[in-house]
Amino acid sequence: MNESDESVQRLVRRAIGSMADTELKRDLWPQMQARLDEPPIRVPWWDWALAAAVVVCLCAFPAAIPAVLYQL
Amino acid sequence: MTETAVDILEQFAHGDAAAFEELFREYQGQVYGWIVRIVRDPAAAEDLTVETFWRIHRARSRFDPRCGFGPWARRIATNLAVGHLGARRTETQFSDDAPPARVRPLPPDPAVSADVRQKVAEAFGKLPAKLRAAATLAMIEETPYAEIGAALGISVGAVKSRVFRATRLLRKSLIGAGVEP
Repeated sequence: MNESDESVQRLVRRAIGSMADTELKRDLWPQMQARLDEPPIRVPWWDWALAAAVVVCLCAFPAAIPAVLYQL
Repeated sequence: MTETAVDILEQFAHGDAAAFEELFREYQGQVYGWIVRIVRDPAAAEDLTVETFWRIHRARSRFDPRCGFGPWARRIATNLAVGHLGARRTETQFSDDAPPARVRPLPPDPAVSADVRQKVAEAFGKLPAKLRAAATLAMIEETPYAEIGAALGISVGAVKSRVFRATRLLRKSLIGAGVEP
């Protein structure tokens, strides 16, 4: 690393202060508990049916794959 | 590691809820402290800390108690923090304009003008997330390269390379903004 790079690093250090306070101020366990208690996301059966229909269509008409990818 | 600590880690790996709570209470401060150094936003760091432990909880069956909980947690936390930086890349994280109420970085050098500080902050905010995380830890927080490498899952040489690339990009941006480093 040359002098010029070091001067950039010095400037960054002087311009942006280090985080003085990195201590956690409160217990996050209640938030964690709430997250753990969330019910798992359930995918409705019709979403699976729709996904299956798309796969079947793509297998039947492979030429449509680039058009579908373009739309994504 | 004491026998009790190993027991707790093994119980956690087998899905014991009490062991997970004990680990959470023991490590939440360390994980938060590491994340807040990278993202520099206490509110986001709290959310990412919970997200880190959520992922740890989901991946508990893959946890090897012999490898230690702290390094594993830090790796997951770092990945999440880098992802957060990537999602917020367009925003200026170090802006002096409207700092969140709870952000308390050390005051910057008063010899550096507000205009230069703003331009440095903007240049830093434009860095790609991976370079920015490495540069924040190395340049601003002065974290040892080995520690950064362990957290990012890369070698010390790769950390040096990222810091070097970040420095070059910063210099280019600063010169473009009329600041001569």
